[in-house]
Amino acid sequence: MRLLSPLSLAWLGLLVPLVLLYVLRRRREERSVGSTLLWEAALRDLRAERPWRRLIPHLSLLLQILVLLAAAFALARPAGLGAAPSGAYLAVVIDRSASMATRDAQGQTRLERAQGVARSLLGGLPPGGRGMLVGAGRNALVLGALSSDQVALVRGVDVLDVEGGAADLNAAVALAAERLAGAPRGSRVLLLTDGAESAPVTVEGLTVPVEVRRVGAPADNTGLLALDVRADPSPGHPDRASLFVRLGRTAETPRQVYVLASVGDALVASRRVDMPARGETSLMLAADLPPDADGRAPFVSVRLADAHGASGAEPFDAQPLDDLRVAPSPGLRRLPVFLVGPRIASIERVLRSDPDVELFETTLARLAERDDDAPVLDGLVIYSGEVPDAPPPGDSIVVAPSGPTAFELAVGSPTEAPRVVSWAEDDPRMRFVSMADVHIVSARPLRAPGAHSLVETNAGPVVAAYERAAGETTVVGFDPGDSDWPTQPSFVVFFRDLLERARTHRARGGVPAAGLGEALSVPAPDGEQVRVTTPAGAELHARSRGGLALVPIGAEPGVYRVDASGRQLAALRNLDAPEEVDLGNRITLVGGGTASTQRIAQAEDHRESWPWLALLGLVFVLLEAGWATRRGAA
Amino acid sequence: MSSAVVVDADEPRLRPGSSLLEPEFLRRLERLKLLARRRFRGAASGSRRARAKGSSAEFADHRPYAPGDDTRRIDWNAYARLGELVMRLYVAEQDLAVTLLIDRSASLGVGSPPKIDVARRVAAALGYLALAQGERVGVVPFAAGVGRPLEPGRGRARVGKLLRYLDSVEVDGTTDLGRAVDAFLARRPRPGLVCVLSDLLDPGGFRRPLDRLISEGHEPAIFHILDAEELDPTPGGDFALVDVERGTRVEVSLDQHAIAAYRARVTAFLADVGGYARSRGLSHVRVGGDVDFEDALLTYLRS
Repeated sequence: MRLLSPLSLAWLGLLVPLVLLYVLRRRREERSVGSTLLWEAALRDLRAERPWRRLIPHLSLLLQILVLLAAAFALARPAGLGAAPSGAYLAVVIDRSASMATRDAQGQTRLERAQGVARSLLGGLPPGGRGMLVGAGRNALVLGALSSDQVALVRGVDVLDVEGGAADLNAAVALAAERLAGAPRGSRVLLLTDGAESAPVTVEGLTVPVEVRRVGAPADNTGLLALDVRADPSPGHPDRASLFVRLGRTAETPRQVYVLASVGDALVASRRVDMPARGETSLMLAADLPPDADGRAPFVSVRLADAHGASGAEPFDAQPLDDLRVAPSPGLRRLPVFLVGPRIASIERVLRSDPDVELFETTLARLAERDDDAPVLDGLVIYSGEVPDAPPPGDSIVVAPSGPTAFELAVGSPTEAPRVVSWAEDDPRMRFVSMADVHIVSARPLRAPGAHSLVETNAGPVVAAYERAAGETTVVGFDPGDSDWPTQPSFVVFFRDLLERARTHRARGGVPAAGLGEALSVPAPDGEQVRVTTPAGAELHARSRGGLALVPIGAEPGVYRVDASGRQLAALRNLDAPEEVDLGNRITLVGGGTASTQRIAQAEDHRESWPWLALLGLVFVLLEAGWATRRGAA
Repeated sequence: MSSAVVVDADEPRLRPGSSLLEPEFLRRLERLKLLARRRFRGAASGSRRARAKGSSAEFADHRPYAPGDDTRRIDWNAYARLGELVMRLYVAEQDLAVTLLIDRSASLGVGSPPKIDVARRVAAALGYLALAQGERVGVVPFAAGVGRPLEPGRGRARVGKLLRYLDSVEVDGTTDLGRAVDAFLARRPRPGLVCVLSDLLDPGGFRRPLDRLISEGHEPAIFHILDAEELDPTPGGDFALVDVERGTRVEVSLDQHAIAAYRARVTAFLADVGGYARSRGLSHVRVGGDVDFEDALLTYLRS
C-alpha cells in the first residue's frame, strides 16, 4: 500500500484534542441540595422520554468508535496499491498470456493475483478518477471502457481469463495509452504481467507514463513443446505409429519426468526422461493406434507426470497448460470419397492412386432415397453432371455441371475452345499446378460473387472454389475428358491437393484450428444447438447463427468433442506458444531508458487478508458493544 | 389575655440571634393561642377523651352490675324502669400527649431560610400552644435515629425549656424516618398526637413509618417542610447537585425540559404525601416556600 500524501497523516494529531474533549469533564458549579432523590427521578424521566439517551463519554465508547472507523476504513480499501491522484485516469492492462495460468504455492494463479491488484485499483479510483481495463492476449481488447463506474470495471476484471498463447503486450499498452491521450496530469498506464515475455515492451513516444508491475514469482517449469504422430506400420503391427515428442525445461536444475501417451483412458506408451537444466529433449515413442469400435481413428494424448503423479490427478507443475498435448492419429488420413453421377475415368484413376482413399460410387437418385436419419457423408463428395440443391456438409467437388447452377455458382453456356489466360498460383488448391499447357475443347464459365477463380480463361473462370463454414466446394466447369489436362501432371497434383485439403478438414472435424482458449467455430445450420464436451468433461452449449456456432472455451488443452447436426466432431487444442513454457521474468522496456526499467516493480502481495481482519474487528466491536450495553456499562 | 410568654429565668438562655424569642414571633404565638383553644380545648386536667371509659362527667354507656362495682355509679333510674342493676359508664378524660418528631437530618440545613429554622418555628408554635392548653409536650429530634429527646411535660413553665431545647437542635446525619419511628416507639410512649416535621425526602419512604405510628395508636400530623428552591428551582445554569446527606452527585443543566421534569416529580411527590394523609385521615400541612409557618399552623388548626 502506498500513501500518496504522507504529510496528511499529520491530521491524525487532531485525535489528541478529540480524545481530550471526550475525556475531560465539563466544569459545573456545585450546589448543595437537601436531596437529589427528586432530581434523579426527573432525569430518569427525561431519559425515558427521549428516543436517545445522553452520550456518556466512556473511554471504551471512544475506542469502539475508533475501531469502527478504522475497520470501516479498512474495508473501504481507500488507498490501495498504485492509487492515482484525484481526477487522474488509470488504464490497467492485464497480461492474459498462457504463463499467467501459473499457480503459486498458495494455489493462486498469476492472473488471479493480477486481478486482485486490478480490483483494488479500479474499485478504489480517486475522486473524479476514471479507469479502463485492457486485456492483453493475442489481440489487445478493451474489456472496460474508460469510465468512473467502478462496479462495471471490477466486473470486467472478474470475468477475465487466460488465453492459451502469447500476449501482444505492445499492442495492448499502445491501445491503452492511445485511449488515455489528453488525460489529466497523473494519469498512467499500469501493465500487470508476470514478466514472462520475450518481446520487449515499447514505451517510447507514448503520451502517458507506463508503469509495469510484476505479479507472481519466477517458477521452474517443464513442458511439452511439440508432438507429431506418424504412421509406422509393419507386417505384425498395421496400426503402429511413431510419436515424436519434444520437451523443454526452463529451470536451473535437471529433473526426471515421465512422458505418458494414452488413447482415451488407455496408456499406450510411456518413457522416463531425464530433463537437463535449461534445455530441450526429443524422444520417440512407438504405439499401436487401432481405430475404435466405431472405426474412428483415435486421438493421442501425451502428458507429463512425475513418479508420484503418474495417474495425472495432480498437476505436474506450476504451469499446467504445457503438460498435455493432443494429436490425431495417422488413421485419420483415411478419407472416404463418394463419386456421385457418371464416372469420370481420369479422376477415378487419381483417386485410386491414393492408398488412403476409400472410394464409394453412388448416384444422386440413391442419395435422395436415403432417410433423413441416415448418417451424413463423412468425406469428400465428387459430383459429375447433376448436383443437388444444397451442398453436403464437408468438402465437395463438382465436375462438368449439367444444370444452370452448381450450388451457389452460376454456370454459363458452353464456350468452345476457351483459352487459359491465368490461374491462382498462390491458392493452396493450385499448389504446384501449372495450367500453361492445358487446352480445353469446351467449357462453361462460372460466375459467383464470393467464389475464388482458380483458372481463368478468355471466356471467364472455368475452375472456381467457394468456402462455407461447413466446408468448401471446388467446381470444374468442364469435363476433363474434353481437355488434355488429364494427360498432364498438374491434373494429378490438383486433385491430390483437393484430397489433402479434404483430409485436413475432416481430421479437424470441420472445426477450424485455433489457439488454446479461443472459441470453437462449429459449422452448423442456423438455429441449431451445438453441444461441446471439454477435456475435463464439462458440457458447453451454443446456438448457431449465420452457419456458425461460436462456443467459448477456456485455456484447457485436450480434445473437445463436438455434437452438431448429428455429426460427432472433434477439435484439438494445444499450447502453441513455446515461449510461454519459460516462466521466468525477462520483460524489458524499450525507449524509457533506466527510468523505465525502474518502473518495473514487483506487485505487492494482494491476498487481502486485512479485510478479513477488519471484518473480525467489526464483529468484535459489535460483540463488545452488545456486552457493554447489556451490562449497563455504556 | 396576656401577650407575654412566660420563660423560666433559671433555665439556660437561648442562643444569641435565635429567632424563637423575637417579639414578632411571640406575638404571632399569642394570636395563635386564641385559635388553638378550638383545637386544644379543655382545662388543666386535660381535655382529650381517652379510649378507656372512666369517671368524667360525660356519659358513655351502661353495663350490667357485677359484684365489687362502685355502688355510687348504679343507675337507679334505670333500675326503677328495668328492675335490673346497671352501671353508668363515663368517658375517661386525660391530658393529650403531644410529641414533636422533628427531622434534624442534614437536608434540613439547606434552604433559604434553612428548613430547620422553619421546623423549629413550627415546633415551637405547636409546643407553645399545646402547653398553653395544658397538654403534655415532648420533643424527639431524629435523623437516622432519634437523638436526646425532651421528655414530655406540661405546664406553661416548660415553654422556655421547650424553646431553648428547640434552639439547640442541630442538623446532622441522614434521614431515616423508619428507624427513627422504630426508636421512638421502642420507648413505649403514651399514644397521642405525633407531629412529624420533616421534608420526607427519605429514600426509605414515609408510608411505613407513619403507618406504624397509626398502628400503635398515635395520630400523626404531617408538617411537610420544603424550601422554595426545592419546590420551584430557578432555571438556567449547569450544576452538579450534591446531596448533603448521601453525597450523591447529579449533573444537570437547568433547562426548561429538566425544570419541567423536576416540577412534575415534585408535584407527584406532594400529591403522594397529600393522598396518603387523606387516605389515613391525617392532617397534612406543607410549610416553607410560599407557605409561611403561621399560615401553615392556621391551616392545621382550622382543619
